[in-house]
Amino acid sequence: MLQPIAQNLVFGILVGALYGLAAVGLALVFGVTKFLNVAHGELLMLGGYASFWLFSLWHVDPFLSLPLAIAALVVVGAVLYKLLFSRMVKLAEGAKIQNTLLVGFGLGLILQNLALRFWTADTRSITTFYSGAVWTILGVRLPVVRVASMGIAFVLIVALQLFLRRTYTGKALRATVENWEAATLMGIDIQRVYLLSFVMGAALAGVAGALVSVGYSIDPGMGMSWTLKSLVVMVLGGLGSITGTFVGGLVLGVTESATGYFLSLTYKEVVGLVLFLLVLVFRPQGLFGTKEG
Amino acid sequence: MSIKQVIFVALVIAILALLPVVIKKDNIINLAVYVLLFVSLASSWNILGGYTGQTNLGHAAFFGAGTLATRFLWLSGWPLFPSLLAGGLLAVALALLIGIPAFRLRGVYFAIGTLALSQILYITVANTFPMISSLPAQDLAVYQLAPRYYLFLGVALLTIGTAYVLVNSRLGLGIMAVREEEDAAESLGISALRHKLLALSASAFFGGLTGGAFAFYHVGYYPQLTFGPEWTFDSMMMAYIGGTGTIVGPIIGAVFFVILREFLVLKLAELHLIVFGVLFILVVLFLPGGFVGTWGKIQKAFARRSTQPESRALPSNGRVDSIVDPLTQDEERRLPIK
Amino acid sequence: MLEIKGINAYYGDLQALWGISLQVSEGELVALIGPNGAGKTTTLRVITGLMKPASGSVQFQGQPLDRVAAHRIVELGISQVPEGGSVFTGMSVLENLELGAFVSKARKVKDQSLKWVYQIFPRLEERKNQRAGTLSGGERQMLAIGRALMSKPKLLMLDEPSFGLAPILVQQMFEMIKEINRQGVTILLVEQNVRAALELAHRAFVIENGRIAGQGTGENLLSFESVRSAYLA
Repeated sequence: MLQPIAQNLVFGILVGALYGLAAVGLALVFGVTKFLNVAHGELLMLGGYASFWLFSLWHVDPFLSLPLAIAALVVVGAVLYKLLFSRMVKLAEGAKIQNTLLVGFGLGLILQNLALRFWTADTRSITTFYSGAVWTILGVRLPVVRVASMGIAFVLIVALQLFLRRTYTGKALRATVENWEAATLMGIDIQRVYLLSFVMGAALAGVAGALVSVGYSIDPGMGMSWTLKSLVVMVLGGLGSITGTFVGGLVLGVTESATGYFLSLTYKEVVGLVLFLLVLVFRPQGLFGTKEG
Repeated sequence: MSIKQVIFVALVIAILALLPVVIKKDNIINLAVYVLLFVSLASSWNILGGYTGQTNLGHAAFFGAGTLATRFLWLSGWPLFPSLLAGGLLAVALALLIGIPAFRLRGVYFAIGTLALSQILYITVANTFPMISSLPAQDLAVYQLAPRYYLFLGVALLTIGTAYVLVNSRLGLGIMAVREEEDAAESLGISALRHKLLALSASAFFGGLTGGAFAFYHVGYYPQLTFGPEWTFDSMMMAYIGGTGTIVGPIIGAVFFVILREFLVLKLAELHLIVFGVLFILVVLFLPGGFVGTWGKIQKAFARRSTQPESRALPSNGRVDSIVDPLTQDEERRLPIK
Repeated sequence: MLEIKGINAYYGDLQALWGISLQVSEGELVALIGPNGAGKTTTLRVITGLMKPASGSVQFQGQPLDRVAAHRIVELGISQVPEGGSVFTGMSVLENLELGAFVSKARKVKDQSLKWVYQIFPRLEERKNQRAGTLSGGERQMLAIGRALMSKPKLLMLDEPSFGLAPILVQQMFEMIKEINRQGVTILLVEQNVRAALELAHRAFVIENGRIAGQGTGENLLSFESVRSAYLA
């Protein structure tokens, strides 16, 4: 009797780790630059396709190709930033959020339809020789690929935290979040900080996408769903906390799983959005929020 | 409006009214139907998004609600016009339900919140009504395109007319005051919430009415279709590219969009969305005010040439203090507090 | 050392500065005084490049500053303590100070600079691991100044360091500023507290409504009838 519940919990946590990873990418960008990049999901999608094509065309193992996916997204992120978002750095915060929302939206549309055009609407997934491997602990099945993905997500989050807390550049990032003018006076180049955050956010999305392509599946239309999930998690976890956001991802994953099990699979999709609206209206600082968004 | 403008509008309406009489080709009428549909949808979006500055990413919820209600009632035997009205009113009810909590959300959260809401409806409807909704045989037999066309024409004219009256009324002034500077407006006794709800209701009503017309028009479709986000996004892009915050903007944007889509579909499908996406980004970044705004700027530039040049020789490199509001084309001046 | 000539600056269409000119020589402590909204902070922003003037020139040690990006100003040796201190509240005192030495030149001598700052502000050393947000107003000001000193500036610009401080702290604050100047840092002090500023400064400029209304040595200005009645009544 307990097994299905435990199984569900595990599946929720495993996918939640990827939700968290994706959301942290978005939160990082938003926290530093106040850009709300709603094309974040499309960047994730690109990471997934990068991984997929590297595997399908050149048989590169999806876990080994992660650095390549990162590199690809770093380049794409840098180009998009320079081309589009860098122009909005000097706007006041309200206009900045608004405009980046619109630009991100247009960008997402473009990327989604380009993917549709070049790669067709087919759902894709990577199947390796170890894709079917499963560990079973206490009767609960743990697909190896998904566990490894969670592990990678976890490692990246920890690495990010270390970067932000221990390195000079990381501290410069945090300083920019607090007060960009004071940071400028200290010699911190805000444009570079913004670029770095944006690129890092894109890279995190790319990794998440690559992990989705091997553990789950990808298609050109997945962007919006993942952007929304990232937004939901961002709001759940509360802005200003990387760990909080990651945990928020786990929470969403588990909530979805539980809803799918206890209610129906179809409502699994909406529970996150409903939770999102409830949190927005009743507890805008999120579950773990340290400061207002 | 000047006499010239009134005559021009009357002429346009006359031409549109005579269209099905003169042109008997169905595909042209269908194209016109889609133009009118998007004119209504973009204009109704604009009432909220363009004039109040609240970016509504869930307009499809109203469109869908209208379709759902009207289709259901009409196929159950209700006469058409009450069904349409019911569709519009359902949309308004939905709007008021979400509006009051939603308007408590700051700017961007409103946008994302409305998107989340319409997605919830989309998925729920898809799962609750998965069967295709088809016109029963007897209705199919007597199906006529012309009445559908006139319905869409009527809805479009009603939407634009109401938008025009609203904008030029005291209410409209209040709405725009709220958009420009909400706190200042409040201090003048203008209830921000009430005005926003009014704009939201009008936007929802006409979105729903358009949905109802769609329900009357389409022979067979999946009920979740009209809740799809593309309806919101297309309307929004049309309003932006044409020029938000204007009456004519959404009209221009809608005509441009539908014609362009027709033209590009011959070449490459889906390409029209990419083109539109690019145009949209260009408008947001470089051409605030869309076609209407840019046209206005060109006119101003020519007018300035004939008088003496303004003494505004200010460098505009990365000025922190002047920003361009994306919804109007005015530069907002931020005065220092000290 | 620092020379500003004919600066005109606008906020949108509103002109904030009208032909501002002032000079600061090496080793001096120069005050810029004036009422609220006169343009003191705006002048500082023009110097540090956070705001671009419509016309006029800013020169530091003979080098024009108008092509220099705001974040490179500190490399040249100008450090500003913005109004209200603007410490990074979410970070510790030590992290704040470390960020003050962000530029690579300063980073190399970070430990030395830290010692120096702790010498001037021993309280900061006591609280070095505390979050800056938990410090009192006076301590935050000290942190802000200490942070600015970490880049070993040649010119230190202070925007109303006494603002919001209790009178006894104001006294201490100005003592410390005097000490910093004595140790060789040129100072441009923007202040509303006119008496204290003029008692401290070698020279001062009076700014009103975006224009320089007067200049002179600290003592002279203190004795001017107009200054007395306007600011010291």
